[in-house]
Amino acid sequence: MPLTYIRNLVDRTILQLKEFLLIMQEFFYFSVRAFTTMPKLKKYWRDFLDQATICGADSIPIVLVSSISIGSLLAIEVGNLLEDFGAKTMLGRSTALSVIRELGPLLMGLMLSARYGSRNGAELGAMKISEQIDALRAFGTDPVAKLVMPRLAAALVMFIPLTALADFSGLQAAALMAQHYHKIDPGIFWNAVYPRLVAKDFVVGFLKAPVFAIIITLVSSFNGFSARGGTAGVGKSTIKGIVVSSGLVLIANFYVSKIVLENM
Amino acid sequence: MIELRNVTLKYGEKIILDKVSIEVKDNTIKAILGPSGVGKSTILKLMLGLIKPNSGQVFVDGVDITNFKEPDLYPIRRKMGIVFQGNALFDSLTIGQNFSFFLRENLRLPEDEIERRVCEQIKFAGLEGYEDQLPESLSGGMRKRVAIGRALIFNPKMILFDEPTAGLDPVSSRKILNLITDLRNHNGLGAVFVTHIIDDVFAIADRVAVLYKGKFIFDDVTEKLHESDHPFIRSILSDKILEI
Repeated sequence: MPLTYIRNLVDRTILQLKEFLLIMQEFFYFSVRAFTTMPKLKKYWRDFLDQATICGADSIPIVLVSSISIGSLLAIEVGNLLEDFGAKTMLGRSTALSVIRELGPLLMGLMLSARYGSRNGAELGAMKISEQIDALRAFGTDPVAKLVMPRLAAALVMFIPLTALADFSGLQAAALMAQHYHKIDPGIFWNAVYPRLVAKDFVVGFLKAPVFAIIITLVSSFNGFSARGGTAGVGKSTIKGIVVSSGLVLIANFYVSKIVLENM
Repeated sequence: MIELRNVTLKYGEKIILDKVSIEVKDNTIKAILGPSGVGKSTILKLMLGLIKPNSGQVFVDGVDITNFKEPDLYPIRRKMGIVFQGNALFDSLTIGQNFSFFLRENLRLPEDEIERRVCEQIKFAGLEGYEDQLPESLSGGMRKRVAIGRALIFNPKMILFDEPTAGLDPVSSRKILNLITDLRNHNGLGAVFVTHIIDDVFAIADRVAVLYKGKFIFDDVTEKLHESDHPFIRSILSDKILEI
């Protein structure tokens, strides 16, 4: 009896491992296809512009809300901490490093994973379930070139200015909090920011934008393309896309910081 | 001409199609009859190269397309049109845009030629005045006609129908069946349609293949179906509609 149970468990584990590897292989081919169809961007420039509006301009409010709130909160908390050491004048420096290197891009990534990733997953999932993706293939149109590549290109282009916006608004909110909450002169705050920021700080922050763009777009689109099982299946694939891409964004955030900071 | 030769298809460990062979000649209407979930729609997808068999071969006009890569399949697929069961119309595009979409995508035609072809198909589908409406505002029968018009946009030799009358009222069903017959009679267009409604088969099909438990148990002219003594065929002839 225990032997049968162990055998079944081993069989099930092997089967799940096989399925996982198969999905990884499919994801790899899907990603390669998305990049190799980039030369068709000229043909799909309207789709690119539509997607650039969706992930760029339309995402500005959520990026502003998240970066302003986290910038303000950071200034209050870090200011309180520095006050204990009599180092409140360093608030600008510490806030700037946190926002530009880590929190600006990370929050932007997580917000866009929820906003842009969920939209991709749901839209492409619904197209898959209603056989629209099969229809594209049946009539001779490459669905990856038509649906995924413009999304990827738009995210690659738009995530960089969105990161800059998140950094800028987060720092401005922190400066305002420093002035009104901690009574730090804006000159002192900004003086601790600008002269001390080095190229490495910006490289860490802005390198994350394209990495997150690739993760969010490809993971959410792949899950949309893999949707099955009716409307419930679309829901499942969308959730899976958001959870996986958010997790990967957090992991990538750590490794990009680690690799760049150790090598620059 | 489309041919499946000894095709086996599995989903995981489950065998969907077990060494099936079928041939569809140009200018004939062939029905694939069988209960729901038996793999009828899968056969259409195999014919288009949308899915690949685990073993066996798929031929289109004598060319083995089984191992063709996706870009190489596009010109082959344009020889055929397909009408999906749920129509698969692009729900964010208008009827006119649904017709013109693939022309703009795949052919470098001047704008006036695209418009001419779109007008032709809209007229064919009897949808004049609906060009700017979204598919959701049309009835089931009208949507089916849009899907058929779209399938004809590349002037194919063969058209594949997945349950063409499913979900339609009797009048709309009759219109769609007449349309399929007219396409064969007036345009010389062959058709393959999968269905679980035996009356549709007797109404328009020249030949019928019956799929049961992953195998074809009958493949001949429609009239000979009555002569079959296979228990499953006998039962469907008495029940008329296969609901398994």
